[in-house]
Amino acid sequence: MSATCEFQAKDYKSDLKPIWCPGCGDYSVVQGIYRAMAAIGRPPHEIAFISGIGCSSRIPGYTTAYGFNTVHGRALPIAQGIKLANPDLLVLAAGGDGDGFSIGGGHIAHLIRRNIDITYIVMDNQIYGLTKGQLSPTSQKGRTTCTSPYGSLENPVNPLLYTLAYGAGFVAQASPTDLVGMAAIIEEAIRYPGFAFVNVQSPCVTYGEEAQQIKGLKAISESLKDLGHDPADRLAAMDLAQHYGSKMHLGVFYKNPEPPATYDAQIRERQIQLSQGALPKERILDLFIKK
Amino acid sequence: MATRIDFASLSLMDALDLAILIEDEAKERYEEFAAQMEQHRTPAAATFFRLMAHNEAKHGQELADRRGQLFGGLTPTVTRAMIFDVEAPDYDEARAFMSPRQAMKAALASEIKAHAFFVAALPALKDAEVRALFEELRDEEVQHQTLVKAELAKLPPDSGLSDEDFVDEPAAQ
Repeated sequence: MSATCEFQAKDYKSDLKPIWCPGCGDYSVVQGIYRAMAAIGRPPHEIAFISGIGCSSRIPGYTTAYGFNTVHGRALPIAQGIKLANPDLLVLAAGGDGDGFSIGGGHIAHLIRRNIDITYIVMDNQIYGLTKGQLSPTSQKGRTTCTSPYGSLENPVNPLLYTLAYGAGFVAQASPTDLVGMAAIIEEAIRYPGFAFVNVQSPCVTYGEEAQQIKGLKAISESLKDLGHDPADRLAAMDLAQHYGSKMHLGVFYKNPEPPATYDAQIRERQIQLSQGALPKERILDLFIKK
Repeated sequence: MATRIDFASLSLMDALDLAILIEDEAKERYEEFAAQMEQHRTPAAATFFRLMAHNEAKHGQELADRRGQLFGGLTPTVTRAMIFDVEAPDYDEARAFMSPRQAMKAALASEIKAHAFFVAALPALKDAEVRALFEELRDEEVQHQTLVKAELAKLPPDSGLSDEDFVDEPAAQ
């Protein structure tokens, strides 16, 4: 298990240099992740960082943790498999809003209901940036893009309300407008024993709208702590989450004060129970022999 | 762990450590910006950001030497979590294919921001030595602004055209 030596943020930074557009919010997200990893203090070889496809999904490669840049929308099922195969690993999953809420949208509900101990970080930029600026599930209604030249007719997905409604035990929002706060939120999410979701409003500098850039986000940012929000109050969290898209509340929306057992812990327990009555290897086929 | 600076109770050692952290953060950000520019084949801006990183490192080292002479190896009580973007340029100041003029303007904005930080902190300071240090750091930021403005003045005048008139958007990665 964990080593006792202390780690610094730079210990989690790989030699690979990010190729995001200069000014991209993801530069600050990766810094927040380095800081959170250092605060947690697990050595890089005890961390698995899994992503889907998209600009933000490049992020595992920029860390020294084990990384897997998987296929579009499938970060969560692969992260789940890794966690169940090796529950001792600290498993992080990351991706963009398109990856997470469009093609991968179906997976979130199942990880939440199983309560797998994974931290899922979505870099939400309200656009498909990698493929050059198409509407994404979180794009605002009326948004003009190359796939919506007359303005989008669709209402956006609300990632905060969505995960809260499915029953996630930890739901938070962060932004590059506050790197220190973002690192603290990611650390808290990792420490939460169960599925934790962090939505990071990470602006796309190339295809994003002006109001969604860091300066614009600063203007609509409000700290949940300063508002006096109690993160144990799920209904209050859902109420605040409804402001997604108009205000930017930063902090922990909901943290289950009594986290239920995780799926991985329950599996481990069941394996121990079943192994007590299991047949020895040489008699394993007896199960299939009619007596 | 405290994440906010209590200026009223700041000791000289804390103040020096904070100043070192501020220089470190700026140095790292300029290095990040230089790497971004190199990745996007913008060598002139990259060279300028490397120069700024070198300057911040130099200032940081001077402060660290002073701290060492006064307080030796005493463990710092302030942390990086107490500061954010004090003298470091904001992440969104970087742009693909930025010109040396744009790079220098980003650096100038950072020096102005750092000056504002020290000015804003002064009324809350109680310790006379800390106050003197902050006044010194505030004045240094003005000198840095003058240096950057001098470099800006050496550049040929703007064409009046924006970068978007010349460059394609960044290629899909």
